[in-house]
Parts: sequence; C-alpha cells; structure tokens
Amino acid sequence: MMRARSLPSYCVMSPEDLLDWTAGIMESGPVMGPVERPDQPGFHAFDLLRRPEDLVLRYTTTTMPPKKAFFPPTETVFRFTAGNPPGLTPVREEPPRVLMGVHPCDLSALDALDRAYSFPPPDRRWLYNRSRSIILGVDCVPDEYCFCDSLGVSQARRPCDLFLTEIERGYLVETHTPAGGDLLSGARTSDPRGQDFLDAEDRRRQKNLGFRGRLEADPDRLADFLESGSFREIWEEIAARCYSCGSCNTTCPACFCFTMDDVFDWDLQSGERRRAWDACQLLDFAAVAGGHRFRGERWQRVRHRWHRKFLYLHRRFGRPFCTGCGRCSRACTADINILDETNRIIAAAAKGGGRA
Amino acid sequence: MPETGQRAGSPADWTYLPEPARIVSIRRDAVDAVIELELADRRSLGHKPGQFVQVSMFGYGEIPISVCSSPTRTDRFKLCVRPVGRVSNALYHAAEGGWVGIRGPFGRGFPVRTMRNRDVLAVAGGFGLAPLRSLIQYVRDNREGYGRLIVVYGARNPSMILFRDDVETWGRGEDMEMLLTVDEADESWTGRTGVLTEPLEKEVELIPRSTVAAVVGPPVMFRFAAASLLEKGMNRRRIFFSLERRFECGIGKCGHCQLNGVYVCQDGPVFRYSDLEGFSEAVEARAPE
Repeated sequence: MMRARSLPSYCVMSPEDLLDWTAGIMESGPVMGPVERPDQPGFHAFDLLRRPEDLVLRYTTTTMPPKKAFFPPTETVFRFTAGNPPGLTPVREEPPRVLMGVHPCDLSALDALDRAYSFPPPDRRWLYNRSRSIILGVDCVPDEYCFCDSLGVSQARRPCDLFLTEIERGYLVETHTPAGGDLLSGARTSDPRGQDFLDAEDRRRQKNLGFRGRLEADPDRLADFLESGSFREIWEEIAARCYSCGSCNTTCPACFCFTMDDVFDWDLQSGERRRAWDACQLLDFAAVAGGHRFRGERWQRVRHRWHRKFLYLHRRFGRPFCTGCGRCSRACTADINILDETNRIIAAAAKGGGRA
Repeated sequence: MPETGQRAGSPADWTYLPEPARIVSIRRDAVDAVIELELADRRSLGHKPGQFVQVSMFGYGEIPISVCSSPTRTDRFKLCVRPVGRVSNALYHAAEGGWVGIRGPFGRGFPVRTMRNRDVLAVAGGFGLAPLRSLIQYVRDNREGYGRLIVVYGARNPSMILFRDDVETWGRGEDMEMLLTVDEADESWTGRTGVLTEPLEKEVELIPRSTVAAVVGPPVMFRFAAASLLEKGMNRRRIFFSLERRFECGIGKCGHCQLNGVYVCQDGPVFRYSDLEGFSEAVEARAPE
C-alpha cells in the first residue's frame, strides 16, 4: 500500500488518533520523545515515554539533543572477566524503536552524525542503533537563539521517516520512507484537503518570521573565511570569557567526541569499559600521557571548536557541523553566542581583518 | 581492521571490542618495558612499520602504542611501554602469561615504498626510537631493496637508551650507520654528548635527492630536526614525521587526535612534512610542567 505510493506522501491525523497510534507503537517497543522535565516544569527532555500522553509535540528546544537515543551520554561497551584468556562480553542497549518529536535542526544533526559515524571505518554501534529505529520529526517555533534557517536546515527532513506539521485539524503527516509508511499503517488517518496544506504553509511562514538573528554569510563560505586569517584577537577575546566548561559541546546535537574508561567491579576480577561523551573545550582533551598538551591554551580550544564545526568537518563530510539549534548559546554560562561570534568572524574576514 | 579472529558478539559490537593477546615475554628495565605479544588465535597482527595498536589493560583502560617490531620477524609483535600514565603503568607491571586486549593495527605507517631503492635516514629522539625500530628492522630484513640505512638516535642520558642490544648491534655498522648521542653524559659515557641535531648536522652526509627521512621524537624536536634536514638540501616531501596524539578510538571518530583538518589516527600518525605545512597545531604543544 504505502510502498507503492511515491514519497513523500501525505495524510492527516487528529491529536486523539496520534495518541492512540503512539499507544499502539509503545506496545511494540520503547518509544523516546520530548517530555516535560519533572525537575524543571516548562522545559523538555528526550526520554522514554511511560504513557502516550506524556509526549509533547509543541516544545522549545530540549537542553540535551536527541542523539542520545543512539549514542548515550555514558554507556557500557563490553564487560570483561579475568581468565585465560579473559572473557569479553559485548554490551549494547537496544535503542528506542521509535524516536518521536525531532525538530528539523536535530534531524539535520542526526544526518551530520550519520555522515561522520558511517565514514569508513564506521562506528558500527551507531550504524546498528540507527538501523533499528524509526524517526518521527515535527515542525517547531523558533526562539531567540535559533538560527537554523541561516544554515538552510529549517525545513530539513532527512533522515526522518515521518514528519508532522501542526494544522487546524491536527497534524499533516509526511511519509518519507517505506518504514515510516509501515509504522503509519497502524494509524487512523484521513486524506489531506487543500486547506490542510495551506495551514501547513502558514505554519512554515510564521516559523520563518520567528528568527531574530541571521548568519551574515552563506554557511558554505565559512570554511574559506576561517582559513583567510588567524583571527587571533577574536579567539582570545572569546577565550577571555570562556570557562572551558564544555557545556557547548555537551549540548551540541552535532558534537560526537567521546572518551573510553574502564571500571573495575568490587572484586577486581571483572568490570566494564564505558564510553562517555567528551568535550574538546576541556583542558586535557588533547593531552597525551607524557604530559604534552596540544591546544593547551584556551583560545586554541575555542578556535578548534569553530574550526571543527565550520571548516574541518565541513571539508571532510560536505556540510557544517552546526545546525543553528542555539543550544550552545543557551547553555553558555559566559553568554558566548555562537551566532554573534560567527558573525564577528565573518565581518573581520570581509574586511580582510583576519590577519595572518 | 581485520574482522576475524576470536571475537564475541556480532559485527555491531566489533568496532570497540578488543581481541585478547597473550604476553609471551616481558623485558623490563628502569625506564621501559618491552612486551612481546601473541594474538589469542596466533594470527599475525598484519601491521606495517609505523602503525599503532590500541592496547587494553582490562580494568585500567586502553591506550595507543606503536608496534616496535617489524612484521618481517614473527607472527608475534612487540610494544615498548614507558610507565607514564595509568594504563602504561599497569602494562609495565604486567606479568608474562597475562593477557591484554588489542585493536588494530591502525593508521598510516612509514612510507616503505617511497623509501625503496633510496637511502633511509631514521632520526629518533628519546622514545621515538620505539616506532622507528619497526622501520629499521624492516629495512634490514629487506636489505637489498634499500640504499644506505642511517640512524641518528638521541637519548636523554645513557640509562635511558632504549633497545640497548639492538643499538649495540646497529652500532657495529655492518649494514647500516648508527649515530648515538646523549643529552647528558655520566662518568661511564665515552660516546657523543649533545642534542641529536649536532651529529645530524656535522656527521651525516647524505644525497638529498635519493634520501627519505623518518623523524620521531618529542614535539620540540621536529622543528630543529626538520631545520637541519632542510639545511642539508632535503625536500619537505621526503621528510616524514610520526606524530603522537591522544587516541581513544583509532578510527577517526572520538575526535581527540584532530590536527587541523586531519585525524592523526587515520591520516597519520606518519605524515609528509609538506602535508603538515600550514597546520598550526602540528608541533605546537604546551610541554609537560
């Protein structure tokens, strides 16, 4: 049925039918989506749904990005037991069957991570987890930190399977993949009418009016700008405010650095290897055992973050590793705003002021 | 990396799951230990000179170590360990018959093809001799394929000379030239004293067009060694550096070894000097305090 149709295809679902459908999906496996944080009412976090009605589809950006569905902040990679040879047991937690309520910026970030982690040799844990999940995107309303339109991803759909836009009658549902179509086959839907598309178009227009800041250049030109000079004064000025806390890294949906550590069990005979998110802004991120610190100066780490997002990874994977979600700016305790600082670089580059 | 051997789980688990390897022998001296390893299934590691492996000491963690033996020798391989961190300390004190975990080999090694039929100059500062030993052995085991083999090795003091037996053999100069120096001599020392750029500048005569240099040492050494080699008329394209960085994955994912636009673990650790030009972070480092 769905497979035969050309994609994307469209249908309409009422809020009540969405609730029933979600309940049905939850019976077949764990579902992750934005829920209100019990510790911070009014704020939302991606978490496993306990009840279908906990799913919140109208929310501002979560503090932590949804990449954790496939790449948890900390996870056990394998367990070991002393022996001859030692016993090694791989450990993998099953990802959610469905990841719901992902904004376009975060979809775009998952696309970024797909590129980085599938680049040979691939991170097979990521590939496996991604292949096990279906992603349902949802459109959003920007706040004062958002600038995803400047990065051209405000209408991003890849890599979602289904995408919802809120309309008068409920939701306009776009089906982007056969897997999404299969999941949708268990739902009560109706055919879309002309007015439904007009509603959705109106939503998009409103969204586009909601962005307060703009990147002052085409994001694809940032790599060249960053290479056009040293911008040392700007990096040092940002570094003078930065605490090197790494919050910008931790909250970034397109950051993917990690560290590995072992933990012994109490018996000192067995234990596990754990992987955890890491942050390039931390002092020892590039330190080696002999004591040498590469990027030991704070301004070097600040520069590294910009270079990695807009230069290194862009050149390597064909796109910037920033989606304009604004999480780093929201999280920054020193109020360092990625959009403002990037615009400073652009202005300095335009004046030829990077200086070698 | 070869996805065979004695591995548990499914392919989805293999990226970060090591293979067990047995410690066949361990030779410890005051500053380093040389550990001989054999994979659990006795397969050969399949490495090239200059490549590294990720070594697990279960319960302590995983670190990158360059293989210091040549693949031309046996199916076993050797690692030289200096106890400077948590994992390397545990490795240094490991017992014969004990087990470690191995992932790899990873990275690009020394350009043994480019070196073919040319003179090979190996410049080793301190611990840099460990990775270069695999190259030196490799060239000596394929002696007819290469021109002169010149090794310039600078140790901090006589007690910190690595691979003493090898250095002695190499010094007899039957099929190679060996120039050994120490930064600080002691009473027993009768050899050269001074930094390695001194013998490199004064004693090494090379034909720049037919020489390929491999340089490994602490960050501060690269600039001086490179300056000496350029002074001798060598082309940047024929000078290779092996860089040390923090690696947590070995496959260009963890982000720790990013050096400007490249991943040292995948694109290196051995780089052409000319490819590092314009890389602000290549040899820029804050030295240990």
